[in-house]
Amino acid sequence: MSYVSLENSEPFLKCFEALAEDKSCVVSDSVLYFSGSKGKGFITVAGISSGIEVLAVNLSLLTEDLTIRLQPSVDASSYILCFDEIDVPGKAEGEPPPTPLTLPHPLQMHSTVSITDAVNGKAIVYPKEKTIRSLVVRVRKKSLEHLIQDFDAGTIATILESTGNEATLSWPITFKYRLLLNDFMTEIIQHPFRELFTIRNISILTEYLLQQFFVMNKLGEDGGALSTQDTHSLSRVEYHLCLHYKKEFPGIEKLSRISAMSPTSLKTKFKKYYGETLFGYYQKNKLEHARKLLDNKVPVKVVATEIGYSNPSHFTLAFKKEYGFSPWHYLNPH
Amino acid sequence: MKSQNPVPAARALHWHELQLPVGLRAAAIKTSAEVLDLPQPSFTPDGLVLTFINHKGDLHVRPAGSPQTDELPASPGLGLLTTSARPLVYRSSSSILFSALVIYIPSSWSDIFLKENAQFQKIEQLLAQDANIITCRLGRRQMSLFTAALGLLQDPAGNLLGIQNNLLSLLEYFLCNRHRSVLGVNPVSDIDNEDDLSLIREVESYISEFYCSDTFTVDSILKKTYTSYHRLNFLFKSIHGMTISEYIRNKRIEKSKEMIADNAKSISQIAYEIGYSSISNYILAFKKVYQITPGKYKKQIDNMVQ
Repeated sequence: MSYVSLENSEPFLKCFEALAEDKSCVVSDSVLYFSGSKGKGFITVAGISSGIEVLAVNLSLLTEDLTIRLQPSVDASSYILCFDEIDVPGKAEGEPPPTPLTLPHPLQMHSTVSITDAVNGKAIVYPKEKTIRSLVVRVRKKSLEHLIQDFDAGTIATILESTGNEATLSWPITFKYRLLLNDFMTEIIQHPFRELFTIRNISILTEYLLQQFFVMNKLGEDGGALSTQDTHSLSRVEYHLCLHYKKEFPGIEKLSRISAMSPTSLKTKFKKYYGETLFGYYQKNKLEHARKLLDNKVPVKVVATEIGYSNPSHFTLAFKKEYGFSPWHYLNPH
Repeated sequence: MKSQNPVPAARALHWHELQLPVGLRAAAIKTSAEVLDLPQPSFTPDGLVLTFINHKGDLHVRPAGSPQTDELPASPGLGLLTTSARPLVYRSSSSILFSALVIYIPSSWSDIFLKENAQFQKIEQLLAQDANIITCRLGRRQMSLFTAALGLLQDPAGNLLGIQNNLLSLLEYFLCNRHRSVLGVNPVSDIDNEDDLSLIREVESYISEFYCSDTFTVDSILKKTYTSYHRLNFLFKSIHGMTISEYIRNKRIEKSKEMIADNAKSISQIAYEIGYSSISNYILAFKKVYQITPGKYKKQIDNMVQ
């Protein structure tokens, strides 16, 4: 098992030294490439002197688990944010993986976003034989508080305190993060202004995180927490919805079979966990894909067929309902 | 000039200013006026100022302190990068609908995020040359970001992070764009529109990937990029000075020249490998580019080796 250990004060770049020594990896221009027998992909850092540091991990088919351990430290002036997406490779068009009966190892991650106080340290385990897209962000408390100062509802610190010893808050990953992580990983290496690109994406991710945080907080107040089994089932449903955005909405029966829950409890629990109804979530994801296609100058008609509408005007209506303007107005804002 | 129009100019125009968490400052204005003589807010300490403007009407821009004869006409949907030492002044003598968005980048900020960057240094050099203004037309994606950011900035309860995200995106697009055109083959071409430039890059990378395949046609590019032949040709001509098919031919022939020099394959083999289905077509094309047939060229090289 590969293992990297970092102190709170050490830059993320140090993680490279340990890894590159361990496996014959290629390092160039602060990008570490995995190739061949040990796995495929890259790890890169963008260290920013304003107190935000980012470790981006894009790996697939590791032959052994990779652990990055951030040591607990007395000097507790930072938070660690993690945005992780972990998929089973090669299932892009097929059915979701039929593995659900055993619960995942508690240390082993699945697709979540989380925030941790650096006092307690954090161990991140990237499992083998999966597709991993992950951003680990270490941000100074000052910078983060500065970033969220205008959100009047209590700061993250007070909420972290109330969770007790664990001091980790985590939420399910949603399609917004998935899309952004995907874009981030494809562009980061080639991007001419890497630091600027990183800070922009971190800023967007933070916005998502805060939005999600307040939705969750509100929903959490009027209902108990979900069991691990439930969250695991729900994330399978979510993954299914994300993956099959080109097809018709699968229908509640099929989804309840995937989750092994009754339709009613699936509906309520999904809403509680993701803050959206099943169909609302599916639709939002679909239209977000459409918007990306429109950004790439694909004509509206083609976009409609591409995301599974047989009639372009249905697509226009749905688009308008979601964003408040039609695709045409999106393209021609003058 | 200011005092000549006391009546309409009396309506106070002021900028909404805002400090962003990440360390940038922003200001916005949206107005309709009979006449306009509007200086940009001045920022200290020194830094860069990136302004995005959009308007309906007749607008002129000049750096503060310079005479009105130095004015430049401004087209709608424009991004302007200047140094904060010389804030811009906007003037219009006819009625106008004007909106602008200013991002102030303190030099301490660009030191952290951009100093190390070779591309940014090139842009800075360009800016230093006799107080240049670097401009760039906004593409449609930026235009919608611009409109959204403007709306958010005018809302007093606006979401600060939302504004910041939009502004950072705009800044990034602007720089990437300029970076591309600084690298551009033909710097005098007047194509500075983001959409067009990125289209050209896309087509170029597509060509360099597939030009050797025998199923590769210009049609397949058109299908992939959803553009018309005439438009693409126009863009290619103004950037590379040749039509798209000439561009592809040159690329193929260049490659074949290298292959001949390698001396591992016969001429007919090479012709098929770079995507020509008939050898006489290939010979004609080669002759057009290098004014010599490939056979003779091969002999020349052989003689040189001996």
